[in-house]
Amino acid sequence: MSSYLLKRLLTMGVTLIGVSLLVFFMIHLVPGNPVTYILGDFATEESIKELESRLGLDRPIFTQYAAYMLNAVQGDLGTSYITGYTVVEEILNRIPITAQLALYSVAFGSIIGIMMGIIAAVKQNTIFDQMAMLVALVGISAPGFWIALFLILLFSYQLGIFPISGYSGFYSLILPSITLGLGTAGTIARMTRSSMLDVIKQDYIRTAQAKGASLYRLIFHHSLQNALIPVVTVIGMQFGYLMAGAVVTETVFALPGLGSLVVSAISTRDIPTVQGLLLFMASMIILANFVVDLLYTKLDPRIRFD
Amino acid sequence: MKKTLTLLFLTMIVFALILSGCGKKAKKGDREIIVAAISEPDSVDVHRTSSMGDANSALYDALMKYDDDGNIVGNLVKEYTVSPDGKEVTFELKEGVEFHSGKPVNAEAVKASFERLMESSPFKTNAGDISKIEVVSEYVFKLTWNEPFAPFFTNSTSNYLSPIDVSVLDSNGEGFEKNPSATGALKLVEIKRGDSLVYEPSDKYDWGPDGPGFDKVTFRFIPDEETRILEFKKGNVDVLGSVPYQYIEELEKEEGVTIVRVPNYVLSYLGWNNKKPIFQDVRVRQAIAMAIDRDSIITNTFRGEAKPVFGPLPPATFGYNEKIEEMARNKYARDLDKAKQLLSEAGWKDTNKDGIVMKDGNPFKVDMWVDNDPANQRAAQIIQSQLREIGIDLSISVKESATIIEQTPQGAHEMLLWSFGWLDADVLNFLLFGDGKSTRLHYEVEEIYSLLEKGAVEMDQEKRLKLYEDAQKLLVEQSPWVPLYVKENITAIRNFEEFEIHPRRNLIIWQNVKVAK
Repeated sequence: MSSYLLKRLLTMGVTLIGVSLLVFFMIHLVPGNPVTYILGDFATEESIKELESRLGLDRPIFTQYAAYMLNAVQGDLGTSYITGYTVVEEILNRIPITAQLALYSVAFGSIIGIMMGIIAAVKQNTIFDQMAMLVALVGISAPGFWIALFLILLFSYQLGIFPISGYSGFYSLILPSITLGLGTAGTIARMTRSSMLDVIKQDYIRTAQAKGASLYRLIFHHSLQNALIPVVTVIGMQFGYLMAGAVVTETVFALPGLGSLVVSAISTRDIPTVQGLLLFMASMIILANFVVDLLYTKLDPRIRFD
Repeated sequence: MKKTLTLLFLTMIVFALILSGCGKKAKKGDREIIVAAISEPDSVDVHRTSSMGDANSALYDALMKYDDDGNIVGNLVKEYTVSPDGKEVTFELKEGVEFHSGKPVNAEAVKASFERLMESSPFKTNAGDISKIEVVSEYVFKLTWNEPFAPFFTNSTSNYLSPIDVSVLDSNGEGFEKNPSATGALKLVEIKRGDSLVYEPSDKYDWGPDGPGFDKVTFRFIPDEETRILEFKKGNVDVLGSVPYQYIEELEKEEGVTIVRVPNYVLSYLGWNNKKPIFQDVRVRQAIAMAIDRDSIITNTFRGEAKPVFGPLPPATFGYNEKIEEMARNKYARDLDKAKQLLSEAGWKDTNKDGIVMKDGNPFKVDMWVDNDPANQRAAQIIQSQLREIGIDLSISVKESATIIEQTPQGAHEMLLWSFGWLDADVLNFLLFGDGKSTRLHYEVEEIYSLLEKGAVEMDQEKRLKLYEDAQKLLVEQSPWVPLYVKENITAIRNFEEFEIHPRRNLIIWQNVKVAK
């Protein structure tokens, strides 16, 4: 187990270095220079050179990368060219909202998705199955901004139950979480259904049924745990993606999370913020995958990382 | 196993609930104003921000201001004297003015603020080439330039040159956002990054006998258009800036809503890279100008909420001249026959009858850059169809603003739909047609830039205006671009007894704002 962990940690490190290289050079290749953006119409040759020198952009690109990585491993992701805040400050400032949004939407999506999946599997080929799969399909295919606006119009504008936009605690995150969670629920429902169908056809389920086990016991004690492995994978991946910010949902609901930060950083060519955020986002996804892999051993004791 | 998963799940939810605080938003106060803005300013520090708008301008008060007749008069400055050679200006500050921190606004404080501006602000060019800042007495300071810098007075009506209280900065000269202090009508009390800025009326500000007409101002940043409109319609927002044109009619019908219209000082123009051979013939440039129907663009793109401009400067800019505007309007009123005739005289003829003019076997085909603003893209499509009528085949490329800003100085473009906004005619020099400074149009003609350079150093206002009039005449004649329109700045408001937006600076005048009882 410990050698597995070590190997995984090493792989994670190498992946992150790869991501940092890709991000660093890609952002320097994108047309649009942060200095000309900041100076705008007031740019003169002299002021451009001066600002480039102050921001360290006049150094060779490999030197810039080396300096960046040296600082990054010490936890310093640089300072935003635009706002003057450190990138770590910016991330820490936004992470509570993104983390809550990810948690609530994954919680909502998992509960609804697993329930729909179980019903669809147990009632296979009935109207319940078809309805559940239709809802799942709508959840997966409806665009986020459309769901968001629909929910706002109904629950906030017409009924006045929730705030329309902005962050004001748990209450203000319910609609955004449903918006994001519907897609997750759809995916999880389909995954749970197919996984459950595989399991409930197994001999041991038939045996348990023959021994008179109740439906509740059959589903929750004998089937669900074995059917959960692919579902947990999806949940983990969704959580990782959502921790990287949900651009559209954050924009529509005016939530100051990581997604809206990365969009503004890209449009202003705020290189340190974009780099720092993308590294952070990649770390979240890698970490989520890692946690999911570890959970496999808990879900199925036959799985060992030796 | 199930217990572990349940425990993990519950822990995460509890953690999230703790993070959220489970709270509901505090109720809006009776004298609180909520302003919805599209985007958050990058910084409230005037020496660091790349743009000034209502959300960060209210912190500052300018050295000079416009009076009701449009003359520049002192604001924080009581009076000033200009030396005979124009290189030195001595300013006397009003006494008794204080920063939000309570520290006095005296000559030492203004000097320290100017020093920081000159040392590290990207916009120090607004102050000119200052060589010396001297404190003459407690409230008198003197600025010396290497060359006279006439635009200084107009520029000091903007907040870019407003004094800040440098005593709040850390040892590196940073940290203004953590403890902001300046002289504006509003005092910043809270920054919620990405979400809102909260201000209250400054008790150091002269509000007149009745005091401020409100207790608190919150700027909320709501990037999505639909969400912003819904917040306003629901009554959660009192001031909605930059109302999208398609919603004006709908909002006008809402009970208690007033639409405030102020002409923007930003002039949109159709420009091109004058170094490209295709644009070197003045007849071609004039033909393009004659092919443009501004009214059609304004009606179809901005629902009539813009004013056509034919001359090089918009009405809000110092140096605007009605005579020049009239002259340009007469010369470039839409005339397709004359435009085609000019193109033909320049050798561009529709020889193969496909509707596109050709010269030396090459069709008149150009590409135009436009940013990703949907209204500008609609305007670009109309321009495309108008130029097609005189045989010019125009393609449109949508680019990010950052790309346009970076690549146009390198001359990578052919045509572009762009805009500029500044309050002084010196903008023609430092941005559009100055020697070595024509970053987007690449049109540097000695006769024009020498006039503009003289305008920048001429301290006599009448003589200065005459120089700009001559330069504008040449620009109208040579047509190196097509000025198009100034959009109306549309603001929807509700629950106010008084509300005013500055007609030149397009900023809310907080002294003239009073919430309804």
